[in-house]
Amino acid sequence: MEALLDNTRDDPEGRAPLVLGDHDDLSITEKVCRIVEAKKPPKAWYVAFAIAVSFTGILGLMIAYLFAIGVGVWGLNRPVSWGFDITNFVFWVGIGHAGTLISAILYLFRQDWRTGINRFAEAMTIFAVICAVMFPSIHVGRAWLLYWAAPIPNQMQMWPNFRSPLLWDFFAVSTYMTVSLVFWYMGLIPDLAAIRDRATSKLRATVYGIFALGWRGSNRHWHRYERAYLILAALATPLVLSVHSVVSFDFATSVLPGWHATIFPPYFVAGAIFGGFAMVLVLAVPCRQWFGMRDLITPRHLDNMCKILLATGMMVGYAYAIEFFISWYSGNPVEGFVFINRAFGPYAWAYWIMVICNVATPQVFWSKRARSNPWIIFGVAFCVNIGMWFERFVIIVTSLHRDFLPSSWGVYTPTWVEVLTLAGSFGLFFTLFLLFLRYLPMIAIAEVKGIMHKQRHGAHR
Amino acid sequence: MSPVMWRSLEDLADDPRLVETVSREFPLYADEMLAPSRRDFLRLMGASVALAGMTACRRWPTEHIVPFAHMPEGYVPGSALQFASSFDVSGAGRGVLVTSFDGRPVKIEGNPLHPASLGATDPTTQAAVLELYDPDRSVGLLERGASAEGASRRWSEFAKAMEPVLAAHRASGGTGLRVLAEPSSSPTQVALRARFAAAFPKASWVEWDPLTRDAEREGLRLAFSRPVRRHLDLGRADVVASFDCDLLFDDPQSIAHARAWAQSRRGAGGTMIRLWSVETTLSLTGGAADHRIAVKSGLVPVALGRLAERLKRAGVPLPSEVDRFGSHAFDDPRLDRMAADLLAARGRAVVAVGPAHPAAAHALAAAINAGLSSGAVRYTDVPDPDRPPHAKAVLTLAHEIEDGAVETLVLLGGNPAYDAPRELDLETKLKRVRRTIRLGLYDDETSLSCTWHLPRAHALEAWGDTRAWDGTVGIAQPLIEPLYDGKSAIELIAFLIEGRFVHGYDLVAATHGESGWRRAVHDGVVEGSGLPGVVPALDPGWPASLGALADLRTDGHELTFIRSASLLDGRFANLGWLVELPDPVTKLTWDNALLVSPEDAKALKIEANGTVVRVVANGKELSIPAYVLPGQAAGAFTASLGWGRTRAGRVGTGVGTDAYALRFAGTPWRVEAKIAITSDHVRLATTQDHQLVDALGKREARIRGEELVRTGTLSTFRHDPAFAKEMVHVPEPAPLWDPPVPYDGHKWGMAIDLTACTGCHVCTIACQAENNIPVVGKDEVLRGREMHWIRVDRYFDGTPEEPSLAFQPMACHHCENAPCEPVCPVAATVHDHEGLNVMVYNRCIGTRYCANNCPYKVRRFNYFNNHKHRTAIEAMVFNPEVTVRARGVMEKCTYCVQRISVAKIAAKNAARAIADGEIVPACAQACPTQAIVFGDLNDSGSRVRALHDDARAYGVLEEINTRPRTRYLARLKNPAGGGSQA
Repeated sequence: MEALLDNTRDDPEGRAPLVLGDHDDLSITEKVCRIVEAKKPPKAWYVAFAIAVSFTGILGLMIAYLFAIGVGVWGLNRPVSWGFDITNFVFWVGIGHAGTLISAILYLFRQDWRTGINRFAEAMTIFAVICAVMFPSIHVGRAWLLYWAAPIPNQMQMWPNFRSPLLWDFFAVSTYMTVSLVFWYMGLIPDLAAIRDRATSKLRATVYGIFALGWRGSNRHWHRYERAYLILAALATPLVLSVHSVVSFDFATSVLPGWHATIFPPYFVAGAIFGGFAMVLVLAVPCRQWFGMRDLITPRHLDNMCKILLATGMMVGYAYAIEFFISWYSGNPVEGFVFINRAFGPYAWAYWIMVICNVATPQVFWSKRARSNPWIIFGVAFCVNIGMWFERFVIIVTSLHRDFLPSSWGVYTPTWVEVLTLAGSFGLFFTLFLLFLRYLPMIAIAEVKGIMHKQRHGAHR
Repeated sequence: MSPVMWRSLEDLADDPRLVETVSREFPLYADEMLAPSRRDFLRLMGASVALAGMTACRRWPTEHIVPFAHMPEGYVPGSALQFASSFDVSGAGRGVLVTSFDGRPVKIEGNPLHPASLGATDPTTQAAVLELYDPDRSVGLLERGASAEGASRRWSEFAKAMEPVLAAHRASGGTGLRVLAEPSSSPTQVALRARFAAAFPKASWVEWDPLTRDAEREGLRLAFSRPVRRHLDLGRADVVASFDCDLLFDDPQSIAHARAWAQSRRGAGGTMIRLWSVETTLSLTGGAADHRIAVKSGLVPVALGRLAERLKRAGVPLPSEVDRFGSHAFDDPRLDRMAADLLAARGRAVVAVGPAHPAAAHALAAAINAGLSSGAVRYTDVPDPDRPPHAKAVLTLAHEIEDGAVETLVLLGGNPAYDAPRELDLETKLKRVRRTIRLGLYDDETSLSCTWHLPRAHALEAWGDTRAWDGTVGIAQPLIEPLYDGKSAIELIAFLIEGRFVHGYDLVAATHGESGWRRAVHDGVVEGSGLPGVVPALDPGWPASLGALADLRTDGHELTFIRSASLLDGRFANLGWLVELPDPVTKLTWDNALLVSPEDAKALKIEANGTVVRVVANGKELSIPAYVLPGQAAGAFTASLGWGRTRAGRVGTGVGTDAYALRFAGTPWRVEAKIAITSDHVRLATTQDHQLVDALGKREARIRGEELVRTGTLSTFRHDPAFAKEMVHVPEPAPLWDPPVPYDGHKWGMAIDLTACTGCHVCTIACQAENNIPVVGKDEVLRGREMHWIRVDRYFDGTPEEPSLAFQPMACHHCENAPCEPVCPVAATVHDHEGLNVMVYNRCIGTRYCANNCPYKVRRFNYFNNHKHRTAIEAMVFNPEVTVRARGVMEKCTYCVQRISVAKIAAKNAARAIADGEIVPACAQACPTQAIVFGDLNDSGSRVRALHDDARAYGVLEEINTRPRTRYLARLKNPAGGGSQA
């Protein structure tokens, strides 16, 4: 089977097919909508959903505990005032990068293979950003006053501090969230209409009908849709670069050695794409297997993503190396120490997990065999996710724990509350993602049809 | 309230109707209030109006119904008043000024007129207000029969019960009556003692002090054949050799010593005092010394003898007996240079021996000082020449109890059941005495074994008087009515004599007489009351005692005892401020530890601090965590006393390890011991080096330490006064905005002289008292969440075997270019027009970003509601001028902005400029050496301006362009030979 479906070979005569198998418009619609329309989801879905919801419940308990007692229930201290909280924030924002990159940048670059994965990559983005936003919101000492950080006109004429990178974060992430959501929803409209039209119950027809916004598939609809999609893609493209650049400003604009570095914006963006694609792969590989989507998410899709992973992984590796180089080349002894301490100090284990996961493991993708084995891909992508989490942990904690004055050095150890909160955020993410798989088409039906036609009719152009 | 009239306090407290009414009227404090306050307040007010507006009331303003009808002249409600008072600690007076808000004392400061204070305090004095409002203080009289809980009693019941007892004792001339008192310098108490002796000629009066300085007293008696007291004037010394004598910290005159020492160390005029130290455990004096020789405690007198022998060879008139030291196995070549140094400074050289060493060593030191014709030593008579030595007295008492000769024992303060020599087992012995009457602040270990516990009035609640080490008399006046119906020691003694209670005021006033009384109360000191100097002649027979000294040997491991830097002898064990105050040298909080030298740690395989070791001495055993301390003499193990209390209160019970357990009468300071490692480990909470620092971190810390605490020798300084500025390259900043903020009004700044800082940590606790800083507990300190706004960073320099201590007080630097400010998303930390980096607690949402971006790491975060379990009585200690911070809020040093505001308002009302020195932050106020100076940098005549412009001045981390307003003055050392060898 696998051999027959190999579309990873590059044929100079033409483009490799992106939809395999003997599919027509109807069969694609059927294939994707069947999952949504099934009376009952597979048992595995229930099991997965139960686990995810339990973890979401744990998250809720942890947050309630945190709010009741105070931030002290976490392991933070002086000098390490940020730990798991901001690590998780940056990690989830990073995950949220791939979706818009796939939908916007790859769209503008006419990368047709994006159609197989863009829908759930975008969904993943939305859910990851939800998880991300949660962390800075709950990590503040007085969460009930968080709205003070928003520019809300008030009787005190007290505005937030526009010089603060945290405020920039607020704007960057909220903009990104809004645009991603709109983009995702717009792309969903034709598919929602398809489900509406296929609905057998009144309830389904009504609910999907509301969200389909009266889509009828007329030429005029399609015309406007395509225009809007293009404009949104153009709008979203700079956001892909800006969000993580701004997030990196949290660190880059500080005076702390190990944070205070001009390389941070591109380094963070590359890292985010790296981590985001890894997450897409972690989700895509099992999904295509379990939901029978191998025709639509083909080996070629995986192959392409592996190549991106390899490329961004090396960018990240380059950033690690150049950080070390600059810390030596700058002649700043405090900065020099931070990096030596990262690699050989009390958190060396975290640093080497990061290097091995992020730099070493993706190198297997030089091999085509590794790129075509879904489980190797899954394993590597999983490692990259771990590595990228540790990257943020290393940047935040190792820089803080030994900064300027040795008298104030300390060590940060997370408490069980922090560990469970992190686990709970995965619970929330997967809860949302599983709901998405159950109720929304996980593949952009209309777009896949588009490239299927293109591939059939335009192959010899 | 019923219109009950009464004649005296005693009547009042007895009236059940009144007590009931009061409980109803003040439900909040019903338990603590056995005597009502308001009428007392008015009664006292009658006296206090005459006393320059002294006010004393319990609290203000909530529950009082009767208006403030007789407002003292000049009194402004809500504004602070200061009253002079004085405290007695171990028989020496310390003058203080107490700040009181509407009758509520909240802050202790030093009294500039008092010779033992000079306007500064030591750390323990600062905590007196916390002790006053300690909810664990005993709240009433207890009569203990069979049950340990005891029955609650009233003073009238006590008086009634005592009536026949006292009558019987009076009839028998005091047979079977004994008093065991803590040392007191009070002239009133001395007078009462004489009356007591007259009333009960067969009774005896015993004093016990676990930290006794009797060795010195006996040594001087030996040398001069009369009891005299030694006084040092370091201002008249050029070379000081301290033999285990912590002159700068653990001494009744430590503040005066530190002040004079620091004055000379500043290097003005190109000379400075040189300090040699021979000691066992790194002390603040040893840490500040230019040369330090670490030897076992048993060899310190031998080192002194070796020095004497050298001096004699060089022609100093010393008896031939010192030659016997020449054959002792111990010697140290550095003593040659010490001897040469002392000789070169003849007349201005002085030797001092610490209280832990035998009397003969003190006699020898006296002879050396006489031989060097030292001008820095002065002698006076002692105020209590007939007192037997503490150890002897308590032994006698124990034997008398054993023999059944004691029928009634009155215990005034102290805590002998806990701190008396353990082989006496006073705890059990006390129970054999038919009647034991204990006057104490706490219902503690001793009270538990007594038949009567009487609540003692706190020093801030009672009239009293003290005598400083130099004899100066200080008056103690109450700032508040007794919260718990306590009585002072003098009131109880007067009761024993007269059979009725006399008010302390009458007793103290009677001692001092009419003339000058008002002035004395106002100033807190009686002018010219210092002890007159005497010039004693050496007794020709004294050298006979040197034989035993020259035969001192110490082979195995020795255990030495030192006082706790913060808890003293254990009396302050329930005061959170002090328990959480880091030990100046080890930085330990919430624990004591056995201090072990690095060599011994290696030999005993103690790999980490906190490894529990078993110490066997005097046939007793003690398990105590070890702490490896650089500079500890090899073979010597040191444990600080005062910890491991079993009945201290909520804070102090069970904290630390009780080293008294191994302390016997014969070996009060040093005992041969066997030390063995165990497999147990406890976590020690330190405020620095929170976790074990690996080799990589240690090396870096060492490099950085040099840049942070910039140190030079006197000769470097003479050669290049600005050496400190040149140690770190500060690039010329390229500001984006031009010109920078002008700050053309006031421009506040601070200067900290690291040469003067001895590291005593009083700034930390003065700040804690002033700024309502919470105590967080051991677990939180272990997490690294202590809240001190000003900490004292400690670095070692030199080698691990021969270290010296470098201290750096570190608080908010109020950077002009503050990294904390731009990062706050809600603008909760901003700059004001006078350059203060102000923290707006109300606006803070707690992102902690500012703390991350603060390069000095001086910001403190309220991870929890640190005031959740605060009782109403504890809340009284708060300074009303300073916000009590909520959970989730960042806080940090404000340069005592409340004090700045008070001075600004006063100056504005008087239409004048603020004078330099008018604004003194709490840290600077308490500093014994005046190392911290605050003021207006725009005032060209201000001290802080001059210090900022000083050649030694430098800014920490200036190179990252923070433009700090706090600048440090480089630390100078004065090694012999100009620094070629340290």
